[in-house]
Amino acid sequence: MGSYLLRRAAGFAFVLFGLAVVIFVIARIVPGDPARIALGPLATSEQVVQLRTEMGLDRPALVQFGTYIAGVAHGEFGKSLLTNRLVSRDLAEALPATLELVLLTLLLIATVAMPLGMLAARRHNSAVDNISRLVSLLGVVTPGFVVAILLQLLAAETGRFLPITGRLSPDLPFTADLTHLLVIDALLRGRFDVAWDALLHLILPALALSAAGIGQIMRITRSAMLDIARREHVDTLRSFGVPGHVIALKYMLRLASVAPLTILGLEFASLIGNAFVVELVFSWPGIASYGVRAILSKDFNAVMGVVLVSGLFFVVANLLIDMLIGLLDPRLRRGRA
Amino acid sequence: MTALLEIDGLSVGFTRDGDTTQVVRDLSMRVAQGARVAVIGESGSGKTVTMKTILGTLPPNGRVLGGAIRFAGQDLLTLSARDRNRLKGTDISIIHQDPLAAFNPVFRIGTQLDDVLRFADARLDAPTSAADRHERITKILRQVQLQDPARVLRSYPFELSGGMRQRVLIGMALLHRPKLLIADEPGTALDVTTQDEILRLLDDLVAAENLTLLLVTHNLAVVRQNADYVYVMQHGRLMEHGTVRQVFDAPQSDYTRQLIAAIPPLYGAGVTAQVARGDTPLIKLADAAKHFAAPRSWFAKAPPPVMAVRDVSLVINRGDCFGIAGESGSGKTTVARMIMGLLPATAGSVEIGGRDISALRRDPAFRRRIQMVYQNPASSLNPKRTVAQMLAVPLAFAGDADHAKRIAELLAQVELPSDYASRYPHELSGGQKQRVAIARALAVRPEILVLDEPTSALDVSVQKTIVDLLLGLRERLDLTYVFISHDLSLMRNFCNRIAVMWRGMLAEQGPTDAVFDRPTHPYTRALIAAVPVLTAEEAARKPQITLAERRAVLASTIE
Repeated sequence: MGSYLLRRAAGFAFVLFGLAVVIFVIARIVPGDPARIALGPLATSEQVVQLRTEMGLDRPALVQFGTYIAGVAHGEFGKSLLTNRLVSRDLAEALPATLELVLLTLLLIATVAMPLGMLAARRHNSAVDNISRLVSLLGVVTPGFVVAILLQLLAAETGRFLPITGRLSPDLPFTADLTHLLVIDALLRGRFDVAWDALLHLILPALALSAAGIGQIMRITRSAMLDIARREHVDTLRSFGVPGHVIALKYMLRLASVAPLTILGLEFASLIGNAFVVELVFSWPGIASYGVRAILSKDFNAVMGVVLVSGLFFVVANLLIDMLIGLLDPRLRRGRA
Repeated sequence: MTALLEIDGLSVGFTRDGDTTQVVRDLSMRVAQGARVAVIGESGSGKTVTMKTILGTLPPNGRVLGGAIRFAGQDLLTLSARDRNRLKGTDISIIHQDPLAAFNPVFRIGTQLDDVLRFADARLDAPTSAADRHERITKILRQVQLQDPARVLRSYPFELSGGMRQRVLIGMALLHRPKLLIADEPGTALDVTTQDEILRLLDDLVAAENLTLLLVTHNLAVVRQNADYVYVMQHGRLMEHGTVRQVFDAPQSDYTRQLIAAIPPLYGAGVTAQVARGDTPLIKLADAAKHFAAPRSWFAKAPPPVMAVRDVSLVINRGDCFGIAGESGSGKTTVARMIMGLLPATAGSVEIGGRDISALRRDPAFRRRIQMVYQNPASSLNPKRTVAQMLAVPLAFAGDADHAKRIAELLAQVELPSDYASRYPHELSGGQKQRVAIARALAVRPEILVLDEPTSALDVSVQKTIVDLLLGLRERLDLTYVFISHDLSLMRNFCNRIAVMWRGMLAEQGPTDAVFDRPTHPYTRALIAAVPVLTAEEAARKPQITLAERRAVLASTIE
């Protein structure tokens, strides 16, 4: 297990380095001079040249890349042109909001999609199965921003019980300084009003973000359970009178969860992509909406920071999922895939 | 003796889209207390469905249409689900067929055994402690001759050998000392020497514990060894029943007679000896070897390569039917793939007609001289193509202009009606599929066919028709066969020369008669001795070797 994880981790480090190279190259070949954009059309060409020198844009590309990678290794992405602060500081502020959103989304996917998929498989070809298949198909084919806007409209029309923008109501002053996750910090500090308010703010964006994942994971869980139900070892336990719920919840579930977990890891990429739109729609102060602003203003340091952090997210999530699958399936652990 | 199990007029059907197909029709049978009873039949005979009906594990679309099953005085079909469940794994137990598929791959053997025992105890309202169950499970594993129960319990299914898994399955069925023990094709999925061990063990346990055994199998020879009374089924109906001696010595129904006649004998007057049709060498292997690099890890020294085949030298003459026999892992399939040019030899040479096999890759005309027929026609045929479409692919390479005429010719050669050209694989029976696979191999007019267990996926009566077809084709088309098989009885009647492979090496080779009548290598002797046979005469003529001697041979190390 140890060497297996070490191998995976080495692979992922390589992926991240590749990502840094790709994003750096893209930033250099996109037309438009970042210094000119930052200073606006009224600046003189002397001012632009001066800023280019300050930003190091006049040095050879390889040197720029070396400096950049050295910075990244220290968690430093340079200064943001947009906020005029260190990108790392901006990211540190925005990251917890996104993390909170993504964690709730994953929780929703795990607690809604997997049980629904199991139920659909158990009631194979029944009304429950057909309805849930239809709903999951809708979830998969509807783009995230459509779901987000629809949910927002629905909430606005039905009396604003659920807040439709932001992370916390403006009349509740609270600083999350423990884990930086609002709900959890508020609970830890005993501020239940804040926790409840923050949770309400989270619901709509998390629903919008999880729609596609729920549909996908439900379908995969369903087909995995159906496939495993036909296996001979299920027959064995049944013929020895082991109760049906033990067979389903203990023996079948463990095998059936490998496929949806693997898919969940891959889904993580589209989850991050969707977050860019969903955060914007709900004015969620996370790294995705920070990223959108950075892209629109050609703030390359910030863009590269956002991309690398998103990449890190993806890689760490997949490493965790690989660990989990390794725990679930001994054959993978012993390298006999 | 009183009857433990009595089946009276049982009919079972499967419902699909509102239509019911009857698969067991008006079946009556009786299993006396302490008897060893076998139900024998080919695929579609209804034997497995009968067994599942007794157990109460019919799939959801299975329906009992009529009749009764009485077990120890109570009617199983009218019992409540709760009472029915109570019998499972306690009074009625089953040994499942496939020892790998029967275990959940991601739970330890110990966990699975414990759950089986725990819930059985709970159903009997006699819950037990984990320590108590562990002790009982350990005791049972010793009884099925597993030397290190603690290690077995700690292991995952894939970490045990096939024979060990089969022993655990037997132990699982015996945990509650069942009144009725059902054995579903025990040992069929295993090598013949392991199968023999398992069958002996089963027989010993049945005798020692005075169990009642219901053996479900397609193998007549196994019935002779492990049962006293036999029921023969075909297409859901009972064809005949009687003591094993009655049924085997004087079968009453035509079907039973056909079934017995279809079994190739190992010794005696029934053996059809094949003769060489010439002495011109065609295929030559000289010290051919194949090594596979073992999977390596980043952090350990590279492990030594796996020696799949070492130093195999043999000569196959034109017109030969050359058998390569061996158990799983013996290297026989690797040799076949080397002869096909699919695997390059690591050392030594493989020649066909004096040319090195490596030329196959560059020369299509050379490639055409040798073709292969695979084991499982269900997976070697493309389910989305008609027979004609499948045959057209090789024909395009062979350069025959008139495809329609040639397809008709090929179908005639494999004795299929010409209108089968428009059929899809799912519209064909197993035997017909294999005929199509043979026709496909013949399409390019090869000289050599490599046959990789071409009949092992088929029922024994179908096997005979395929074997007869192949023998006829060899004569008419002047073909040379390389026949890979683990079925020694079949080889005895099909090959004029055989080679026995063991652990990647050639244990012995020679004319078939000589190898069977005077085997010289201890492994060959052990292998032939383990083959289940139908008659006492064959049993007497097999090499006589004790169990201890055989185990010593199998456990011996090379070098």
